[in-house]
Amino acid sequence: MSDDYFGSVLRRRIIFLVIVGMVAIQIVQLVKMQLLESDKYEEKSNDNSVKAFPINAPRGIIFDRNIEILVGNKASFTIQLIPSEYEKKNSRLIETVLGVDSGYINEILKKYKKFSKYTPRIIMYGADYRTISWIDENQKELPGISYQVDTQRDYAFGINGSHIFGYTKEIGREALNKSKDLYSIGDNIGFIGLEKSYENLLRGEKGKEFFIANSRQKIVKKYSDGKNDVHPIKGNDLVSTIDYKTQEVAEKLFKNMKGSVVAIDPVSGEILAYVSAPQYELSKFADVTSNDVWDSLRFDEGKPLFNRGAISMYPPGSTYKMLVAIAALEEGIITPEETNKCSGGLKLGNRFFKCTHHHGKVNLKQAIEQSCNTYFYKLIRKVGLDNFHKYSTMFGFGKKTGIDISPESKGNVPSVAYYDRVYGKGKWTEGYLLNIGIGQGELVTTPLQLAQYTSLLANWGESKTPHFVKGYIDSHTNEYTYLDINSIKANVSESTLKFIREAMFDVVNAPKGTGRNIRLSNISISGKTGTAQNPHGEDHAIFIAFAPFDNPKIAVAVIVENVGYGSTYAAPIAQKLIKAYLENREEIKQKLVIN
Amino acid sequence: MKIGYKLQDKFDLVILLTVLALVGIGIVAIYSATYNHPTAKGNINKQLFFAMVSIALLFVVYFLPTRSFRVVALPSYIISIILLIAVLFLGKTVYGAKSWMSIGVVGFQPSEFAKIGLIFFMSYWLTDTKRDINNLKELFYTVIIALFPILLILLEPDLGTAIVYAGISLAMIFWSGINLFGLFVVLSPGIILFASLFGTIPFIVALLLIIVALLFFKQNLFVSASVFVMNLSAGFIFEFILKLLKPHQVKRVLSFVDPTADPLGSGYNALQAKVAMGSGGLFGKGFLEGNQTQLRYIPEQWTDFIYCVIGEEFGFIGSIVLLTLFLILFLRLLNLTSLAGDRFGRLTIVGVLTLLFIHFSINIGMNLGITPVIGLPLPFVSYGGSSLLTNMFLIGVILNIYRNRKHHV
Repeated sequence: MSDDYFGSVLRRRIIFLVIVGMVAIQIVQLVKMQLLESDKYEEKSNDNSVKAFPINAPRGIIFDRNIEILVGNKASFTIQLIPSEYEKKNSRLIETVLGVDSGYINEILKKYKKFSKYTPRIIMYGADYRTISWIDENQKELPGISYQVDTQRDYAFGINGSHIFGYTKEIGREALNKSKDLYSIGDNIGFIGLEKSYENLLRGEKGKEFFIANSRQKIVKKYSDGKNDVHPIKGNDLVSTIDYKTQEVAEKLFKNMKGSVVAIDPVSGEILAYVSAPQYELSKFADVTSNDVWDSLRFDEGKPLFNRGAISMYPPGSTYKMLVAIAALEEGIITPEETNKCSGGLKLGNRFFKCTHHHGKVNLKQAIEQSCNTYFYKLIRKVGLDNFHKYSTMFGFGKKTGIDISPESKGNVPSVAYYDRVYGKGKWTEGYLLNIGIGQGELVTTPLQLAQYTSLLANWGESKTPHFVKGYIDSHTNEYTYLDINSIKANVSESTLKFIREAMFDVVNAPKGTGRNIRLSNISISGKTGTAQNPHGEDHAIFIAFAPFDNPKIAVAVIVENVGYGSTYAAPIAQKLIKAYLENREEIKQKLVIN
Repeated sequence: MKIGYKLQDKFDLVILLTVLALVGIGIVAIYSATYNHPTAKGNINKQLFFAMVSIALLFVVYFLPTRSFRVVALPSYIISIILLIAVLFLGKTVYGAKSWMSIGVVGFQPSEFAKIGLIFFMSYWLTDTKRDINNLKELFYTVIIALFPILLILLEPDLGTAIVYAGISLAMIFWSGINLFGLFVVLSPGIILFASLFGTIPFIVALLLIIVALLFFKQNLFVSASVFVMNLSAGFIFEFILKLLKPHQVKRVLSFVDPTADPLGSGYNALQAKVAMGSGGLFGKGFLEGNQTQLRYIPEQWTDFIYCVIGEEFGFIGSIVLLTLFLILFLRLLNLTSLAGDRFGRLTIVGVLTLLFIHFSINIGMNLGITPVIGLPLPFVSYGGSSLLTNMFLIGVILNIYRNRKHHV
């Protein structure tokens, strides 16, 4: 049996082999892990511990057409909360210091429950110094609460322009889910106005700040002293078409009125001034907007949140007479010389359609100049609904202008199909037609459409889509980029337009013109008064105008709600805007010379 | 030179210096692992204290009369058994095992100290020249002596330590001159156990292999039959033992198969340890610079995962240095078996070598992801007073045996 024994030499060899073999295996594994695959493990170890936090980028600035700041940015403090570190017992204290309702923090936490608890939630924008220093002093007792120096919108540049610029609002949960990495919780996103339309340009690129987190995801310190941090890139600056001075005057004029004014450069379609009154104060939207502010705006009788310029639809009144005249002239229905007798109105069937005065015998030009309804009652019967609709559409009525803010109304241009649909075939009478012939009844237009119409009249049937933004300054390259704007054209003969323009000139400048009260010695204004009948109260005063006559630089449409005659209330506003834009303005004069 | 020679004459400097180096490395690594830890910061002081106490203990043991180990062999075994029973009733549960006992404010792990009793008594038992280990009856008694503490430890349940105990006993039985059949008898139940881990069919296949082996050994029918019955019952006992294991221990064994499958579950530690090791690279990230370690990605890193602190912060070079120190220690211990004055000493050295080697293999292996995560500390390096005291005591015994070796070289 002795050969079965493990002799002392053999067993020592076996043990030796086991020891050396084991260490050899370990060394092979060490070589593999630490020398051959160490990159892979290093990456994993960094993934483990390096956490990126977004730094908000300042939004682009909005300039006026001469690079004056309209909407800027100012430094502000944004308070954040990281749920993984936050202790709920602190909520009441924090809510008291922030001056918000109790339960506010819990609501935010609940709202974003499904998001990673390691990403910060923004609990307040625009916190004051007092709050920030309180957080600084109590940092140790407030785990998960921090702040970052952020920017918020600054509206302290003299222009409000609430319905132009609009505001930003905290991004909704659904939009956030869809946005992938572009936005994070609590980010502000353009909600309305230019802030919304040009969100992609204004937004900028978020920066990233890297921190080291331990295994419990608690932030320990900055990663490699911030060397890898990515600075945020400010959004692109928008160069708007707004003229600071004209806008300022427009806002002042509408201070205590309801209505709207749109001033357009008729050649380029650039909107020089745009007011929907009453406005709301944009500065109240710079931070998180409190519910009180919302409620007061929402229930205000003046409906300040409503963007009248693009949404409100008013009957255009007598300002529409040029369109009827154009249809008649173009279709060869009348000649400019054709006269009609006005004896204070027209009797049709058993209804009497009133005129403002006894105009007596007037031709087409006089009918426009003196705004004779009787002439147009008769004319529209000859023009007919189909032609009326055709030329209305040609001048952009009944459809959206395509302006770069939304929403926008289409207005309404009645057609045979429209009346058939609303009243039933054969159940509507010619009387309906007479009303729309003088811009009343079911014909409704937005102030913006009226301004576009005025531009087309001023600039010989050619213009561009009304717009607020010309281009932007790229924040990477500092290069200026023009935006493409569509041309629009009304196919009307030059002779017709020449006639219409002259008639509009006479409205302001002829002895019997209804807008003679706004005549200026130095600027040749042309225009047309209008009064929109309002079944709910005083009529709306309307005036459209352009100037100068030979080389139009500005086209204006003004609507003042519930005041009365256009010539009395709306025309002076148009005149003041024209003056503001054209008087004592070196840059405009230069352009006049060049052109 | 003369002084050096004289010193080497009295002390085995190779063993003493490697062990002191390992304890030093351990203190550095524990310092780093607990540096940023809110609750474990005091561990470094405790470890320093235990290092000093255990070095003192080493020298005390070194100067004891050699005979004394043989004298205390049986009492220490009995005390060990008593402690292992006591801990089952009075012990505190730590990481799912009832392994801790407290006397006053001092807590300790009986299963650590009981290793001393096991090694001494096994050495004593196997030293008896009248005893033929190849006599099945004697072998049976020996196995009973070995199994008793193992069963008690499995009841805690502490799988890792049980494996160490089994290893120590097996190696000592192997060293005592067992023949192939004896080895087969001792090992076959283990094979059956292992096979049944994988299901019924492997279990039956293993049983058939045992029958074939029994036919090959051509022992008499009674011996063959009893060996077979023993194996069969081992399979059923395993079912019983599996029930004793806590779910986390079963999970740990299973998670070894694929640690990435459940990265935050039981495979988490193994995965994070591998990431720490691997990301160390050639030179490491530097002392106190390892992000896995300093950011506490590996829980309780100062105990079982101390090696990946070294791997992360001192890289491949540091890792190799540590392995080399252990390799020197093991080979020197193996070498000492031929220098020991008597059979008792040789067997004790084998027991100690096995104890350290199993701890080392499993601990390093789980840090490198080549063995399951079985909670065994790295000798001399991991944090833990009981383990350090026991190991240093045993090194003291080794140095004592060296002092009383047969020939002076």
